[in-house]
Amino acid sequence: MLPLEALSLRPSPSTIDSTAGTGTTAPTVGISATETKAGITTIEPTAGTSAVVSRGRVLACDRLASEAGVSAGQKLSTALGLQPGLAVFERDVLRESAALTHLACWAGRFTPTVSLSPPAGLLLEIGGCLRLFGGVAVIVEAVLNGCAEQGYSTRWAVAPSPLGARWLAQAGAGEIHAELPAMQSALAVLPCRIPGWPGEVEDRLNAFGLKRLGDLRVLPGASMRRRIGNGPLDDLARAWGDFPDPQKPFIFPDSFACDIELPARIEHAEALAFVGQRLFAALAGWLHGRQLLVRACTLLMTHDDATQTALELRFAEPAADEGRFLRLLREHLSRLTLVAPVEILRLQADEVVNKPGASAPLFDQAPPGEGVPACLERLRARLGEAAVQVLGQQADYRPECATRSLDVAPTLTRNFAHFSPLTAVVAVNAACKPQRPLWLLPKPQVLAERAGSPQWHGPLKLLSGAERLESGWWDQGEKGMAGDVRRDYFVACNPVGQWTWIFRDADAWYLHGLFS
Amino acid sequence: MSAAPLPLALAEVLARGDIWRGDTLASLPEKALPSGHPELDEELPGGGWPRGNLTEILVDRSGLGEMTLLLPALARLSAEGGWLALVAPPWLPHAPAWVEAGLVLERLVIVKAGKQAAWCCEQLLACGGFAGVLAWPEAGVDAKVLRRLQAAAEGRATFTWLWRPVSLASTPSPAPLRLALAAGEGGLSVRILKRRGRPAARPLHLSIARPGRLPRALVGPSLSLAAARSAVTEAIA
Repeated sequence: MLPLEALSLRPSPSTIDSTAGTGTTAPTVGISATETKAGITTIEPTAGTSAVVSRGRVLACDRLASEAGVSAGQKLSTALGLQPGLAVFERDVLRESAALTHLACWAGRFTPTVSLSPPAGLLLEIGGCLRLFGGVAVIVEAVLNGCAEQGYSTRWAVAPSPLGARWLAQAGAGEIHAELPAMQSALAVLPCRIPGWPGEVEDRLNAFGLKRLGDLRVLPGASMRRRIGNGPLDDLARAWGDFPDPQKPFIFPDSFACDIELPARIEHAEALAFVGQRLFAALAGWLHGRQLLVRACTLLMTHDDATQTALELRFAEPAADEGRFLRLLREHLSRLTLVAPVEILRLQADEVVNKPGASAPLFDQAPPGEGVPACLERLRARLGEAAVQVLGQQADYRPECATRSLDVAPTLTRNFAHFSPLTAVVAVNAACKPQRPLWLLPKPQVLAERAGSPQWHGPLKLLSGAERLESGWWDQGEKGMAGDVRRDYFVACNPVGQWTWIFRDADAWYLHGLFS
Repeated sequence: MSAAPLPLALAEVLARGDIWRGDTLASLPEKALPSGHPELDEELPGGGWPRGNLTEILVDRSGLGEMTLLLPALARLSAEGGWLALVAPPWLPHAPAWVEAGLVLERLVIVKAGKQAAWCCEQLLACGGFAGVLAWPEAGVDAKVLRRLQAAAEGRATFTWLWRPVSLASTPSPAPLRLALAAGEGGLSVRILKRRGRPAARPLHLSIARPGRLPRALVGPSLSLAAARSAVTEAIA
């Protein structure tokens, strides 16, 4: 287990001033999160105790291990002595930083201003987003729940200055200080053991008898600077909100690709949905941060024999909604059979488009339900791409070639309230055009002939003159094509009142359509 | 029926779509869709196809004009910009005919649902974006599934027509409107099996547009190809 102080939330000065009604300084919200083992090292879920070690010393351990006496900083041999069954994992810095980036992408859903605070901290400036979310408490709860869902345990604080928020979070404060004086009094009781300050500073402060930051703060600054250097005193002024403290914003990457190494091999496709949720949460945050929509993405599964399966997810319209991603993912996974257990999941966004600026309705008038594109997408995910299509016309005399199936147009959100010109022309010509049946049989059905009359549930009575349809020499003999036909079509009716479209060719009578 | 004004509470109750007096038709809270056949509209509660409810159409043989019965309503929905879906149609739709009927093909979705027609139908109803759904559910679909579909349709602006065989006429169904169709004299005979209101007394005879006839029907003694051809040349001459 590895401490990952995750989030410091910092609102911008002006916004917080107006929202929280404080004085002149920027109130900062600080949240610090510790990550449990997820995302750091592969740990068998059934293993009782586990610890992450670096250079022979325990860096972090889980709850069971700490109950047995294992603690951070211990030598590995001591830890193994205390807990012989301890599962030991080497720290992997690269994966830690990847996990932090992944979490920063995810946090893009809360605020556009995210800053990394390595090795394990995130600063979120939430001052501008408070009204959108409905208050500090709501946003903090959403962030914490999100972190918990993704398997991170958090230490957090909300404060008006970034550094103050970070220190409070690292100390595990878990409090919201919207105003400067409250934060300052909370900072004043923190011990003078600040990560990042040189060890000799801590020793010297100890020697002075300064235990808490508040004690250091009341001493005259100039002489303290001479004794312990400028760095700590500047930090102190920044934390207290005396100095401005601009943060380097996290730049959301240009393209999105995210890996997760699974804690245990997964053999059932459905179980991947749970892990996939983390990836899609990060994708949704990234899309929000860059104001993009995704049209297609790929979920790449690496199996334990190093082979890969790619699962492509295409959306009927560009989307950025996590819930919709997950519904589609579940549909796809329910149809997928894994050839081998999966070790690594990778999600990459293949096609993204810019999010068009759109106004939300002032009054909530949207009809209930998810709408046509999302619904068709789900049907397609379950039934296959070819099962959900719209019709199109094709200029061909042969009836079976006059219809073609098209994918649902990508522009389907447009409102086609206007009358299509093609339809108008057809309506004008309808009077002088022979009528066509609404349904065609998949294949013309041979009809029996009795006394020269075709039979289908009784003798068919011809009700129209012959209409000769012939052509098609160009695809004669090609597989799956109608080929060259020479047919005389008739409208016919049988004694039970069924109106049919039949034809006669050189060989026999055929039933081809129904005027239903 | 007495002309005395009803007590207020009772009048309120009767304004609901699902409660009606035994001797009248229910008044629907939502506007119904005129079917395009005035005789039929008169007999349907609300004066047309009911919105947000299942309508069952029981028909055994195709080609009687059963789809033509719906075409005016479908064309109207399509012209208003609505989406239509055909779920598991038993034959292939022939695009030119649907265009001729006034439907916009870009918004006519064909779902080859296989054995999942009921599931697809439920999804299409629940999504709220479709104006009309026509479904040919598989034979084994039971009342439980239909009740789920009815629940999905309720409160939506979708019109739903389910096509089922006539043999199920005596099987109970949660659909509030059930019609059985048969070929009639010069058109279609519509028997209203169930509606919200007094039972229908006798079948309706609707005249349905049928494909154009020649002035003279071709009923010669022999309908061999040669005879038909000669008849046509005669007709042209």
